[in-house]
Amino acid sequence: MNEMTRLERFRAEVPRPEMTELRREEQRLRAAMLDPSPGRTRRTGRFRLAAAATAGLAAAAVAAGLLAVDTGPERPAVVHTMPVAHVELLQRAADAAGRTPELHPRPGQFLVYRSMTMNPVESNTEKGHGRYLSSERRTIWMPVEGDSTHAVLESDVLPPKPYPGEKIPPEAYREVGHSGPSKAADFDRTAEWLRNDYAHLSRLPTDPAKMYEHLYAHLGTGPAADAQAWQNIGGMLTEAYMPVAQRRALFRAAAAVPGVRTVGRAVDAAGRTGVAVSLDDPGLGQRDEYIFDAETYAYLGQRSVVIDAARAGTPVGTVVASTAQLSVRVADRAPAVRR
Amino acid sequence: MSEPSRAEPDDASFIRRSRQDPEAFAEVFRRHAPDIKRYVTRRLGADAAEDVVAETFLTAFRQREKYDASRPSARPWLYGIATNLMGRHVRTEVRHLRALRRTGVDPVTAAFADRSDDRVTAEASGPRLAAALAAMPKGRRDALLLFAWEGLSYPEVADALGVRVGTVRSRINRARAQLRRELGGTDVRSAVSEEPVHE
Repeated sequence: MNEMTRLERFRAEVPRPEMTELRREEQRLRAAMLDPSPGRTRRTGRFRLAAAATAGLAAAAVAAGLLAVDTGPERPAVVHTMPVAHVELLQRAADAAGRTPELHPRPGQFLVYRSMTMNPVESNTEKGHGRYLSSERRTIWMPVEGDSTHAVLESDVLPPKPYPGEKIPPEAYREVGHSGPSKAADFDRTAEWLRNDYAHLSRLPTDPAKMYEHLYAHLGTGPAADAQAWQNIGGMLTEAYMPVAQRRALFRAAAAVPGVRTVGRAVDAAGRTGVAVSLDDPGLGQRDEYIFDAETYAYLGQRSVVIDAARAGTPVGTVVASTAQLSVRVADRAPAVRR
Repeated sequence: MSEPSRAEPDDASFIRRSRQDPEAFAEVFRRHAPDIKRYVTRRLGADAAEDVVAETFLTAFRQREKYDASRPSARPWLYGIATNLMGRHVRTEVRHLRALRRTGVDPVTAAFADRSDDRVTAEASGPRLAAALAAMPKGRRDALLLFAWEGLSYPEVADALGVRVGTVRSRINRARAQLRRELGGTDVRSAVSEEPVHE
């Protein structure tokens, strides 16, 4: 009998409890579930791209701070009065919002977004641990009204690139290739106030102060609430399109979020350089940037950069994820879904 | 990614659903609480286990937004949280192990003593296993027991402990060497009584 067999038998008489013997633990969990303070609604994936995560192998996007202590803004909702806007770049983006030709999608049509995403992927296989950078080029047909279960997605996973200083693990190449067109999601439980279809976004306030209240709906106060409001802005910019009046209000409201600052220069997932506005998310140990064209102030994409190595589990300065929105257009229909 | 429709949805889909509908998290508890309770009890004893298990699921529930939904099974995540919380009870764990080594009586299993015949086999090497477990760094013990008792794979242990697979491998190798040294040593009695001749 070797040492592992002996170890397996050590204290093996401790029984697996029945559910009835776990009643006290379960009651404590149930009490937390009934807590009236609203839960957070951070969406799947940093930038809420449906199907952005790489599937297969034991690969998963680097989950920054998986076991980090929660700093969620789970406090009773409060009324948020918009402070004075202090980020000039966003003010200019608001002013410039009307200069590009406006899309006017009608009910029943689709908004078609082409974008690129870049995520570091960690893969663990029998042979060991590896890290690499995975890029994807994607096109999504989002219904003008309705959630992502009605959307169609087509994507190309591009050849992997090395994580700075590391070798590409062989399994990384298995992910490469084309998929779709397929249904973008089988269910979508996005909260009503976080929907980002055109129909919903066109009904949002056009007054910056009211838009600010909307961004903080169901949130408490403090840095974690600000980080979530900042995420909500990202949700309205990413694979989403809103009428110019709402877009202006959004940028002016965003300019008032406490802690937001301008970053000189930032590169999006397509390699385009722009200027960015950024907010630190202390809970995740990273800053989240929205990148704009330096001349036209058109929205380019997003980027997350590590600012706290211990929290994020990755060295400071590492780009944890990035996106680039390449184009938006209107289409009468989405491609047929391959089953 | 889109959710495949199948009879038994994975943990990730319940966790995702629980972000809007907290009640859905009860399923995660139902699936994993019994195993985690047994594991924590085996390490710390029944007294500390109740608290650690309750806290594990409360912590998981509060952190459900951060769960990486591309991981279908929540086991590594939950064991990782439980391991962190057990860190507060290292002294209790080591005290029990040392008591067993000293007295031959295991405070952890005393309450369950009449349950199983395994006890007879376990008892013989128990004090020496306890000595080896008490002597190893906690991280090594964590990796070893997740692997040996809970059947987590190396990558799952790595996930749970937030370390690389290579680290898990070396921790478990060292832990096994420590066990062998402790078991293989001087005690002739157990070698005679336990080792079947045909093995």
